[in-house]
Amino acid sequence: MQYAPTKVTNYLGAVLVGQQLKEIYLYREMLKNLVAKELRARYKGSVLGFFWTFFNPLLMLIVYSVVFSFVMRVQTENYAMFLFVALLPWNYFATSVLQGASSLVQNGSLIKKIYFPREILPLSVVLTNLINYLLSLFILIPALLIFKVDLTLALIAFPAILIIETLLVISLTFLVAIANVYFRDLEHILGVLMMAWFFLTPVLYPITIIPQKAKFIFSLNPVTPIIEAYRNIFYAGKWPQWDVLGYLTLGLLALVIISLAAFGRFQKTVAEEI
Amino acid sequence: MAHEFFNAKVVEIKDLWKKFQIYQDKTNSLKEKLIFWGRQRTEEFWALKNINLAVPKGKTIGLIGRNGSGKSTLLKIISRILYPTQGEVKVKGRLSTLLELGAGFHPDFTGRENIYLNASILGFTKKEIKERLNEIIEFAELGDFIDNPVRNYSSGMYMRLGFAVAVHVDPDILLIDEVLSVGDLAFQEKCLARIQDMQKQGKTIILVTHAPKQVEDLCDLAVWLDQGGARLQGPAREVAQAYKEFISGA
Repeated sequence: MQYAPTKVTNYLGAVLVGQQLKEIYLYREMLKNLVAKELRARYKGSVLGFFWTFFNPLLMLIVYSVVFSFVMRVQTENYAMFLFVALLPWNYFATSVLQGASSLVQNGSLIKKIYFPREILPLSVVLTNLINYLLSLFILIPALLIFKVDLTLALIAFPAILIIETLLVISLTFLVAIANVYFRDLEHILGVLMMAWFFLTPVLYPITIIPQKAKFIFSLNPVTPIIEAYRNIFYAGKWPQWDVLGYLTLGLLALVIISLAAFGRFQKTVAEEI
Repeated sequence: MAHEFFNAKVVEIKDLWKKFQIYQDKTNSLKEKLIFWGRQRTEEFWALKNINLAVPKGKTIGLIGRNGSGKSTLLKIISRILYPTQGEVKVKGRLSTLLELGAGFHPDFTGRENIYLNASILGFTKKEIKERLNEIIEFAELGDFIDNPVRNYSSGMYMRLGFAVAVHVDPDILLIDEVLSVGDLAFQEKCLARIQDMQKQGKTIILVTHAPKQVEDLCDLAVWLDQGGARLQGPAREVAQAYKEFISGA
């Protein structure tokens, strides 16, 4: 006897990704509601409630400025601000990847019971952290003014840099979310990996202190040009390096498509594996 | 005429097979995967064997069988929660599955907020939810509790709200998995009435049950599943009779 192959497996990669995007669009209301739920539920029951979204970066800022102006004096001018403008986007990146890794496994009961595009779950993690990052700008901008950092026209490059970073965040979050279903250790290894990645990225230190010999290795890190771009526009008052960002964007667009296709390919057995 | 008849099939299943890998020890850690690479002891289990089924538009079809016969697996494949190992499933129209009531409810949110959350997980837009909101609230019979957090609900109230959302999402095809035993008798009657309403509106319904009476009362057609295979399929009454005789004999 011969059996026709399952129709769903016949799609070419490109058709698959198009189909995924369409499905995500159809379920946009679910995405919106999950993000709203996450933003509101996180601080539910605490006295300050939603204001914690602002207090967290504010407290972080206070701790860093005290430590680096009184305890550990660093040569860099205005080091607290130098660090803060890079740490906020780093946190957006790292938190999304870490939370995204467990997004499918944690929602196993939903996945087993209801059909919806599984992409919605990691996407809602990314979107929630994106909104948290944007809200933290309400602390960052006044802080920059207080610390007398010159704000220039270069700030209008912010949306472009944010979109580029988001492409990277989405790709990695998709990949770790689906990989974690099959290798549950990932979620635990990831904490250490992200910490190593943090130290390999010029967040705590300026890119200029990297020795010439190691430059090539560091240039492979896609987070570096993004962090540098943020630092240029917020801290140095300079335009970002558009040529570097341009190449990065092309690479990231390819990565988004690859990670979406990989997610689409492996999500079929997710309900059985969870 | 023949062409029209062909088009009227809303769910078509051809040569459907579904295999599960049953692991002796399920290993999901990287270490164990590396150590036992390709040597993991698994057993194959065919949950569905060569299922062929065409559901005409506007009909109600019952899937009947004992526990483990594959009825729920079939329902999950039609709703795209699981994917077939071999074969083809075609679905025309919007499909909604009642496998679990109150999916994704957040205990800290009110009943009203959870309606939005739950309905959007079922794939509905804000506009569509708004249009049905009052009807859902009325159907759930929660009174003022609708604006209380659902963690204060009794399990019956929780189920009622879940059911109210599920039956108001207005799909073309509705899949129901043994959720008709929700709430008290009066509410059950209401749910049955709602299903009969949907039948009158020309909705296609696929119902999983182990009660032959439900098949006789509600269905036009039925499939009796036994150990993953379709033992008998045809008019609901015939299949229900044969199944009844089988279980009373066994």
